Amino acid sequence: MVAVSRSLVLRTLLVWAALETAAAWQVRTADGSPLVLSWLRALLEPVSWVAGRGGELAGDVGRGAGDLRRVVVENRLLRLELEALRARDLLLSEDLAAQRELRLLARDSALFSATAIAARCIFRDLPAGTMEVRTATEVQVRRDAPAVTSGGLVGRVVRSEGRRHWLQLITHQAAAAAVQTPDAEVQGLVLGGGGTLSVAYVPRQARLERETVLLSSGGDGIFPPGIPTARVVRIRETSEPFLEIGAVPAADLQSVRVVLLLPEWSRRGG
Amino acid sequence: MHARWILPVLLTLAAQRLLGLPGLPAWAADPLLPAVWIVAAALRSRERPWPLAALLIGLALDIVQEPVVGPGGIAWSAAALALNGLAGVVADRSAKAWAGFGATAGALVTLVHHLAVLPLGLGSSLSAAQVLRTAVFTGAWCGLVGLVFALDLPQRWRTLRARRLR
Repeated sequence: MVAVSRSLVLRTLLVWAALETAAAWQVRTADGSPLVLSWLRALLEPVSWVAGRGGELAGDVGRGAGDLRRVVVENRLLRLELEALRARDLLLSEDLAAQRELRLLARDSALFSATAIAARCIFRDLPAGTMEVRTATEVQVRRDAPAVTSGGLVGRVVRSEGRRHWLQLITHQAAAAAVQTPDAEVQGLVLGGGGTLSVAYVPRQARLERETVLLSSGGDGIFPPGIPTARVVRIRETSEPFLEIGAVPAADLQSVRVVLLLPEWSRRGG
Repeated sequence: MHARWILPVLLTLAAQRLLGLPGLPAWAADPLLPAVWIVAAALRSRERPWPLAALLIGLALDIVQEPVVGPGGIAWSAAALALNGLAGVVADRSAKAWAGFGATAGALVTLVHHLAVLPLGLGSSLSAAQVLRTAVFTGAWCGLVGLVFALDLPQRWRTLRARRLR
Protein backbone atom coordinates (compact mmCIF):
# COMPACT_ATOMS: atom_id res chain seq x y z
CA MET A 1 0.00 0.00 0.00
CA VAL A 2 1.33 3.33 -0.98
CA ALA A 3 1.94 5.47 1.99
CA VAL A 4 -0.49 8.37 1.79
CA SER A 5 0.88 11.48 3.36
CA ARG A 6 -1.30 13.69 5.44
CA SER A 7 -0.70 16.66 3.17
CA LEU A 8 -1.89 14.67 0.18
CA VAL A 9 -5.10 13.77 1.95
CA LEU A 10 -5.68 17.33 3.06
CA ARG A 11 -4.90 18.67 -0.39
CA THR A 12 -7.26 16.18 -1.98
CA LEU A 13 -10.06 16.98 0.42
CA LEU A 14 -9.52 20.68 -0.15
CA VAL A 15 -9.70 20.27 -3.89
CA TRP A 16 -12.82 18.16 -3.61
CA ALA A 17 -14.46 20.69 -1.35
CA ALA A 18 -13.63 23.43 -3.81
CA LEU A 19 -15.06 21.41 -6.67
CA GLU A 20 -18.24 20.62 -4.74
CA THR A 21 -18.61 24.26 -3.85
CA ALA A 22 -18.12 25.25 -7.46
CA ALA A 23 -20.75 22.74 -8.52
CA ALA A 24 -23.13 24.05 -5.86
CA TRP A 25 -22.56 27.58 -7.13
CA GLN A 26 -23.82 26.49 -10.53
CA VAL A 27 -26.98 24.89 -9.20
CA ARG A 28 -29.88 27.26 -8.58
CA THR A 29 -32.51 26.82 -5.94
CA ALA A 30 -36.20 27.43 -6.40
CA ASP A 31 -35.83 31.12 -5.66
CA GLY A 32 -33.04 31.50 -8.21
CA SER A 33 -30.17 31.92 -5.79
CA PRO A 34 -27.12 29.66 -5.95
CA LEU A 35 -27.33 26.48 -3.95
CA VAL A 36 -24.10 27.33 -2.20
CA LEU A 37 -25.83 30.31 -0.61
CA SER A 38 -28.47 28.06 0.86
CA TRP A 39 -25.65 25.85 2.14
CA LEU A 40 -24.07 28.91 3.71
CA ARG A 41 -27.38 29.85 5.23
CA ALA A 42 -27.76 26.30 6.53
CA LEU A 43 -24.27 26.51 8.00
CA LEU A 44 -24.84 29.90 9.53
CA GLU A 45 -28.30 29.11 10.82
CA PRO A 46 -27.03 27.16 13.85
CA VAL A 47 -24.56 29.95 14.55
CA SER A 48 -27.27 32.58 14.37
CA TRP A 49 -29.54 30.31 16.39
CA VAL A 50 -26.86 29.91 19.03
CA ALA A 51 -26.18 33.64 18.97
CA GLY A 52 -29.88 34.39 19.32
CA ARG A 53 -30.25 31.89 22.11
CA GLY A 54 -27.13 33.29 23.72
CA GLY A 55 -28.64 36.76 23.57
CA GLU A 56 -31.87 35.49 25.04
CA LEU A 57 -29.90 33.62 27.69
CA ALA A 58 -27.93 36.73 28.54
CA GLY A 59 -31.17 38.69 28.73
CA ASP A 60 -32.74 36.03 30.90
CA VAL A 61 -29.68 35.97 33.13
CA GLY A 62 -29.80 39.76 33.39
CA ARG A 63 -33.49 39.73 34.19
CA GLY A 64 -32.93 36.88 36.63
CA ALA A 65 -30.18 38.84 38.35
CA GLY A 66 -32.45 41.88 38.59
CA ASP A 67 -35.29 39.77 39.88
CA LEU A 68 -32.96 38.10 42.33
CA ARG A 69 -31.76 41.46 43.56
CA ARG A 70 -35.34 42.63 44.00
CA VAL A 71 -36.23 39.39 45.74
CA VAL A 72 -33.26 39.76 48.08
CA VAL A 73 -34.24 43.33 48.92
CA GLU A 74 -37.86 42.32 49.33
CA ASN A 75 -36.83 39.39 51.46
CA ARG A 76 -34.76 41.68 53.64
CA LEU A 77 -37.70 44.05 54.02
CA LEU A 78 -39.98 41.15 54.80
CA ARG A 79 -37.54 39.93 57.41
CA LEU A 80 -37.48 43.35 59.00
CA GLU A 81 -41.24 43.48 58.88
CA LEU A 82 -41.40 40.00 60.38
CA GLU A 83 -39.07 41.03 63.16
CA ALA A 84 -41.21 44.09 63.80
CA LEU A 85 -44.33 41.95 63.86
CA ARG A 86 -42.71 39.51 66.24
CA ALA A 87 -41.68 42.36 68.50
CA ARG A 88 -45.19 43.76 68.28
CA ASP A 89 -46.57 40.32 69.02
CA LEU A 90 -44.36 40.09 72.07
CA LEU A 91 -45.51 43.50 73.20
CA LEU A 92 -49.13 42.58 72.62
CA SER A 93 -48.65 39.32 74.50
CA GLU A 94 -47.03 41.25 77.28
CA ASP A 95 -49.89 43.75 77.26
CA LEU A 96 -52.41 40.95 77.29
CA ALA A 97 -50.68 39.29 80.24
CA ALA A 98 -50.65 42.64 82.00
CA GLN A 99 -54.34 43.06 81.34
CA ARG A 100 -55.04 39.62 82.80
CA GLU A 101 -52.93 40.43 85.80
CA LEU A 102 -54.74 43.70 86.25
CA ARG A 103 -58.07 41.93 86.03
CA LEU A 104 -56.97 39.45 88.70
CA LEU A 105 -55.75 42.34 90.77
CA ALA A 106 -59.06 44.15 90.42
CA ARG A 107 -60.98 41.01 91.28
CA ASP A 108 -58.93 39.79 94.20
CA SER A 109 -57.56 42.91 95.81
CA ALA A 110 -59.77 44.59 98.38
CA LEU A 111 -57.63 47.67 97.98
CA PHE A 112 -58.71 48.21 94.38
CA SER A 113 -60.83 51.29 94.58
CA ALA A 114 -61.60 54.39 92.59
CA THR A 115 -58.54 56.11 94.00
CA ALA A 116 -56.16 53.28 93.21
CA ILE A 117 -53.95 53.79 90.18
CA ALA A 118 -52.90 50.88 87.99
CA ALA A 119 -49.38 51.18 86.66
CA ARG A 120 -47.42 49.11 84.26
CA CYS A 121 -43.99 47.87 85.25
CA ILE A 122 -41.48 48.85 82.59
CA PHE A 123 -38.20 48.32 84.39
CA ARG A 124 -36.98 46.71 87.59
CA ASP A 125 -33.60 46.12 89.11
CA LEU A 126 -34.11 43.41 91.69
CA PRO A 127 -30.58 43.41 93.16
CA ALA A 128 -30.82 47.15 93.62
CA GLY A 129 -34.40 46.88 94.80
CA THR A 130 -35.89 49.48 92.47
CA MET A 131 -38.66 49.44 89.92
CA GLU A 132 -40.01 51.92 87.40
CA VAL A 133 -43.70 51.84 86.59
CA ARG A 134 -45.73 53.89 84.17
CA THR A 135 -49.34 55.00 84.45
CA ALA A 136 -51.71 55.48 81.55
CA THR A 137 -52.07 59.20 82.24
CA GLU A 138 -49.96 61.79 83.91
CA VAL A 139 -50.65 61.72 87.59
CA GLN A 140 -48.78 62.93 90.60
CA VAL A 141 -48.44 60.17 93.16
CA ARG A 142 -47.40 61.19 96.61
CA ARG A 143 -44.16 59.90 98.01
CA ASP A 144 -44.41 56.72 100.14
CA ALA A 145 -47.64 55.68 98.47
CA PRO A 146 -47.84 51.87 98.74
CA ALA A 147 -47.55 49.69 95.67
CA VAL A 148 -49.19 46.29 95.72
CA THR A 149 -49.90 43.52 93.31
CA SER A 150 -52.17 40.48 93.31
CA GLY A 151 -49.43 38.49 95.01
CA GLY A 152 -48.76 40.94 97.78
CA LEU A 153 -46.79 43.99 98.77
CA VAL A 154 -44.34 45.39 96.21
CA GLY A 155 -42.91 48.53 97.76
CA ARG A 156 -43.50 52.24 97.99
CA VAL A 157 -43.23 55.23 95.68
CA VAL A 158 -40.07 57.24 96.09
CA ARG A 159 -40.43 59.51 93.09
CA SER A 160 -43.24 60.49 90.73
CA GLU A 161 -42.94 62.47 87.53
CA GLY A 162 -45.68 62.61 84.94
CA ARG A 163 -46.44 59.10 83.84
CA ARG A 164 -43.25 57.67 85.27
CA HIS A 165 -43.00 56.56 88.88
CA TRP A 166 -40.11 54.96 90.73
CA LEU A 167 -40.65 52.43 93.46
CA GLN A 168 -38.49 51.25 96.29
CA LEU A 169 -39.11 47.50 96.53
CA ILE A 170 -39.45 45.82 99.85
CA THR A 171 -36.21 44.01 99.04
CA HIS A 172 -34.31 47.32 98.94
CA GLN A 173 -31.49 47.56 101.45
CA ALA A 174 -33.21 50.48 103.18
CA ALA A 175 -36.76 49.10 102.99
CA ALA A 176 -38.69 47.98 106.01
CA ALA A 177 -42.27 46.91 106.60
CA ALA A 178 -44.10 45.96 109.75
CA VAL A 179 -45.57 42.48 109.49
CA GLN A 180 -47.42 39.97 111.55
CA THR A 181 -48.68 36.47 111.29
CA PRO A 182 -52.25 36.05 110.06
CA ASP A 183 -53.39 35.40 113.61
CA ALA A 184 -51.52 38.54 114.72
CA GLU A 185 -49.72 36.63 117.51
CA VAL A 186 -46.26 37.20 116.14
CA GLN A 187 -45.13 40.55 114.91
CA GLY A 188 -41.90 41.65 113.37
CA LEU A 189 -40.19 43.89 110.91
CA VAL A 190 -39.35 42.80 107.37
CA LEU A 191 -36.07 44.25 106.23
CA GLY A 192 -34.79 44.31 102.70
CA GLY A 193 -31.50 42.63 101.94
CA GLY A 194 -30.82 43.17 98.27
CA GLY A 195 -33.05 40.50 96.79
CA THR A 196 -33.86 38.62 99.98
CA LEU A 197 -35.72 39.54 103.10
CA SER A 198 -35.13 39.07 106.76
CA VAL A 199 -37.64 39.32 109.55
CA ALA A 200 -36.32 41.07 112.61
CA TYR A 201 -37.48 41.47 116.17
CA VAL A 202 -39.31 38.18 116.44
CA PRO A 203 -38.82 36.81 119.96
CA ARG A 204 -37.23 33.42 120.40
CA GLN A 205 -40.29 32.02 122.06
CA ALA A 206 -42.56 33.01 119.17
CA ARG A 207 -44.34 30.15 117.44
CA LEU A 208 -43.44 30.55 113.82
CA GLU A 209 -43.08 27.97 111.11
CA ARG A 210 -41.59 27.96 107.70
CA GLU A 211 -43.85 28.80 104.73
CA THR A 212 -45.83 31.09 106.98
CA VAL A 213 -46.99 34.10 105.03
CA LEU A 214 -46.53 37.31 106.95
CA LEU A 215 -49.01 40.07 106.35
CA SER A 216 -48.40 43.73 106.65
CA SER A 217 -49.60 44.99 110.00
CA GLY A 218 -49.81 48.69 109.16
CA GLY A 219 -47.67 49.51 112.13
CA ASP A 220 -45.11 51.30 109.98
CA GLY A 221 -47.63 53.89 108.91
CA ILE A 222 -46.76 53.36 105.23
CA PHE A 223 -48.28 50.10 104.11
CA PRO A 224 -51.91 49.16 104.65
CA PRO A 225 -52.52 46.16 106.90
CA GLY A 226 -53.45 42.70 105.71
CA ILE A 227 -51.32 42.60 102.59
CA PRO A 228 -49.18 39.49 102.12
CA THR A 229 -45.64 40.74 102.42
CA ALA A 230 -43.20 37.91 102.99
CA ARG A 231 -43.07 34.13 103.17
CA VAL A 232 -40.82 32.58 105.80
CA VAL A 233 -38.24 30.23 104.31
CA ARG A 234 -35.68 29.90 107.10
CA ILE A 235 -35.85 30.13 110.92
CA ARG A 236 -32.80 29.88 113.10
CA GLU A 237 -32.25 30.33 116.78
CA THR A 238 -29.12 32.14 117.87
CA SER A 239 -27.70 33.45 121.08
CA GLU A 240 -29.51 36.69 120.42
CA PRO A 241 -32.91 37.27 122.00
CA PHE A 242 -34.59 37.29 118.58
CA LEU A 243 -34.94 34.60 115.96
CA GLU A 244 -32.95 34.86 112.76
CA ILE A 245 -35.62 34.52 110.06
CA GLY A 246 -35.12 34.51 106.33
CA ALA A 247 -38.02 35.22 103.96
CA VAL A 248 -38.86 35.94 100.36
CA PRO A 249 -41.35 38.48 99.04
CA ALA A 250 -44.90 37.16 98.84
CA ALA A 251 -45.31 38.84 95.48
CA ASP A 252 -43.34 37.53 92.54
CA LEU A 253 -41.26 40.59 91.87
CA GLN A 254 -39.54 38.96 88.94
CA SER A 255 -42.64 38.59 86.80
CA VAL A 256 -44.88 41.33 88.10
CA ARG A 257 -46.32 43.39 85.25
CA VAL A 258 -48.95 45.51 86.85
CA VAL A 259 -48.93 47.18 90.24
CA LEU A 260 -51.55 49.11 92.06
CA LEU A 261 -50.52 52.44 93.52
CA LEU A 262 -52.51 53.54 96.53
CA PRO A 263 -51.85 57.27 96.88
CA GLU A 264 -54.96 57.95 98.94
CA TRP A 265 -54.32 55.34 101.59
CA SER A 266 -53.26 56.60 104.97
CA ARG A 267 -53.22 55.09 108.34
CA ARG A 268 -55.80 57.41 109.54
CA GLY A 269 -58.01 57.23 106.47
CA GLY A 270 -57.61 53.45 106.23
CA MET B 1 0.35 15.11 -18.34
CA HIS B 2 2.43 15.52 -21.37
CA ALA B 3 1.16 17.61 -24.22
CA ARG B 4 1.24 14.67 -26.57
CA TRP B 5 -1.48 13.00 -24.56
CA ILE B 6 -3.90 15.87 -24.81
CA LEU B 7 -5.17 14.98 -28.26
CA PRO B 8 -5.84 11.31 -27.46
CA VAL B 9 -7.60 12.32 -24.27
CA LEU B 10 -9.73 14.77 -26.17
CA LEU B 11 -10.49 12.04 -28.65
CA THR B 12 -11.70 9.71 -25.92
CA LEU B 13 -13.83 12.53 -24.53
CA ALA B 14 -15.33 13.12 -27.92
CA ALA B 15 -15.93 9.41 -28.32
CA GLN B 16 -17.59 9.31 -24.94
CA ARG B 17 -19.85 12.11 -26.08
CA LEU B 18 -20.61 10.31 -29.31
CA LEU B 19 -21.56 7.14 -27.43
CA GLY B 20 -24.44 9.04 -25.94
CA LEU B 21 -25.87 10.13 -29.22
CA PRO B 22 -29.51 9.28 -29.90
CA GLY B 23 -29.96 6.13 -31.87
CA LEU B 24 -27.18 4.20 -30.26
CA PRO B 25 -28.04 1.44 -27.79
CA ALA B 26 -28.71 2.49 -24.23
CA TRP B 27 -25.73 0.57 -22.91
CA ALA B 28 -23.41 2.32 -25.37
CA ALA B 29 -22.87 5.16 -22.89
CA ASP B 30 -22.04 2.83 -20.01
CA PRO B 31 -18.31 2.33 -20.64
CA LEU B 32 -16.17 5.18 -19.44
CA LEU B 33 -13.65 5.50 -22.21
CA PRO B 34 -11.36 8.04 -20.49
CA ALA B 35 -10.91 5.54 -17.67
CA VAL B 36 -8.19 3.99 -19.68
CA TRP B 37 -5.99 7.01 -19.01
CA ILE B 38 -6.12 6.72 -15.25
CA VAL B 39 -5.67 2.96 -15.50
CA ALA B 40 -2.64 3.49 -17.71
CA ALA B 41 -1.27 6.10 -15.34
CA ALA B 42 -1.62 3.65 -12.46
CA LEU B 43 -0.21 0.60 -14.22
CA ARG B 44 2.48 2.10 -16.41
CA SER B 45 3.70 5.18 -14.62
CA ARG B 46 6.49 4.76 -12.10
CA GLU B 47 5.61 7.94 -10.30
CA ARG B 48 2.59 8.41 -8.13
CA PRO B 49 1.86 12.14 -8.35
CA TRP B 50 -1.39 13.66 -7.26
CA PRO B 51 -3.82 12.78 -10.09
CA LEU B 52 -4.25 16.22 -11.60
CA ALA B 53 -4.78 14.66 -14.98
CA ALA B 54 -7.71 12.64 -13.68
CA LEU B 55 -9.14 15.78 -12.17
CA LEU B 56 -8.93 17.56 -15.48
CA ILE B 57 -10.47 14.61 -17.27
CA GLY B 58 -13.36 14.60 -14.85
CA LEU B 59 -13.93 18.32 -15.23
CA ALA B 60 -13.76 17.97 -18.98
CA LEU B 61 -16.35 15.20 -18.86
CA ASP B 62 -18.53 17.44 -16.69
CA ILE B 63 -18.26 20.15 -19.31
CA VAL B 64 -19.08 17.71 -22.07
CA GLN B 65 -22.04 15.87 -20.61
CA GLU B 66 -22.99 16.94 -17.10
CA PRO B 67 -25.27 19.77 -15.92
CA VAL B 68 -22.72 21.06 -13.42
CA VAL B 69 -18.94 21.14 -13.41
CA GLY B 70 -17.17 19.79 -10.33
CA PRO B 71 -18.47 16.37 -9.26
CA GLY B 72 -16.67 14.73 -12.18
CA GLY B 73 -13.37 16.13 -10.96
CA ILE B 74 -14.00 14.67 -7.55
CA ALA B 75 -15.05 11.28 -8.90
CA TRP B 76 -12.21 10.90 -11.34
CA SER B 77 -9.51 12.10 -8.97
CA ALA B 78 -10.87 9.76 -6.27
CA ALA B 79 -10.80 6.86 -8.71
CA ALA B 80 -7.27 7.75 -9.79
CA LEU B 81 -6.10 7.91 -6.17
CA ALA B 82 -7.68 4.52 -5.49
CA LEU B 83 -6.05 3.00 -8.56
CA ASN B 84 -2.68 4.45 -7.60
CA GLY B 85 -2.99 2.82 -4.23
CA LEU B 86 -4.17 -0.42 -5.78
CA ALA B 87 -1.26 -0.43 -8.20
CA GLY B 88 1.10 -0.31 -5.27
CA VAL B 89 -0.15 -3.66 -3.98
CA VAL B 90 -0.95 -5.43 -7.24
CA ALA B 91 2.07 -6.58 -9.20
CA ASP B 92 0.15 -7.89 -12.19
CA ARG B 93 0.37 -5.67 -15.29
CA SER B 94 -1.34 -8.03 -17.72
CA ALA B 95 -4.50 -7.38 -19.68
CA LYS B 96 -6.49 -8.94 -16.88
CA ALA B 97 -5.06 -6.34 -14.51
CA TRP B 98 -6.06 -3.64 -16.96
CA ALA B 99 -9.56 -5.05 -17.05
CA GLY B 100 -9.78 -5.27 -13.28
CA PHE B 101 -8.45 -1.76 -12.81
CA GLY B 102 -10.83 -0.51 -15.45
CA ALA B 103 -13.79 -2.16 -13.75
CA THR B 104 -12.71 -0.69 -10.44
CA ALA B 105 -12.32 2.74 -12.00
CA GLY B 106 -15.74 2.52 -13.63
CA ALA B 107 -17.46 1.50 -10.42
CA LEU B 108 -15.64 4.11 -8.35
CA VAL B 109 -16.26 6.95 -10.74
CA THR B 110 -19.96 6.11 -10.92
CA LEU B 111 -20.35 5.77 -7.18
CA VAL B 112 -18.32 8.84 -6.17
CA HIS B 113 -19.94 10.95 -8.86
CA HIS B 114 -23.33 9.96 -7.53
CA LEU B 115 -22.24 10.83 -3.99
CA ALA B 116 -20.84 14.17 -5.10
CA VAL B 117 -24.05 15.05 -6.93
CA LEU B 118 -26.31 14.05 -4.04
CA PRO B 119 -25.93 17.30 -2.01
CA LEU B 120 -26.67 19.36 -5.10
CA GLY B 121 -30.23 18.09 -5.25
CA LEU B 122 -30.10 17.31 -8.94
CA GLY B 123 -32.12 14.13 -8.59
CA SER B 124 -29.35 11.72 -9.52
CA SER B 125 -30.34 8.08 -9.38
CA LEU B 126 -28.10 5.09 -9.16
CA SER B 127 -28.75 1.37 -9.32
CA ALA B 128 -26.54 -1.60 -8.72
CA ALA B 129 -27.18 -2.77 -12.28
CA GLN B 130 -25.94 0.53 -13.64
CA VAL B 131 -22.79 0.35 -11.53
CA LEU B 132 -22.27 -3.24 -12.63
CA ARG B 133 -22.78 -2.43 -16.31
CA THR B 134 -20.41 0.50 -16.15
CA ALA B 135 -17.80 -1.61 -14.32
CA VAL B 136 -18.09 -4.47 -16.79
CA PHE B 137 -17.99 -2.35 -19.94
CA THR B 138 -15.24 -0.10 -18.65
CA GLY B 139 -13.27 -3.14 -17.54
CA ALA B 140 -13.72 -4.69 -20.95
CA TRP B 141 -12.60 -1.50 -22.65
CA CYS B 142 -9.53 -1.15 -20.46
CA GLY B 143 -8.81 -4.90 -20.83
CA LEU B 144 -8.87 -4.47 -24.57
CA VAL B 145 -6.41 -1.63 -24.38
CA GLY B 146 -4.25 -3.67 -22.02
CA LEU B 147 -4.35 -6.54 -24.46
CA VAL B 148 -3.15 -4.24 -27.23
CA PHE B 149 -0.30 -3.14 -25.01
CA ALA B 150 0.46 -6.76 -24.19
CA LEU B 151 0.53 -7.72 -27.84
CA ASP B 152 3.08 -4.98 -28.48
CA LEU B 153 1.89 -4.48 -32.04
CA PRO B 154 4.66 -2.09 -33.08
CA GLN B 155 7.27 -4.65 -32.15
CA ARG B 156 5.39 -7.34 -34.08
CA TRP B 157 5.08 -5.00 -37.04
CA ARG B 158 8.79 -4.28 -37.00
CA THR B 159 9.54 -7.99 -36.75
CA LEU B 160 7.21 -8.74 -39.63
CA ARG B 161 8.82 -6.08 -41.87
CA ALA B 162 12.29 -7.29 -41.02
CA ARG B 163 11.31 -10.82 -42.00
CA ARG B 164 9.91 -9.61 -45.32
CA LEU B 165 13.02 -7.62 -46.10
CA ARG B 166 15.12 -10.70 -45.67
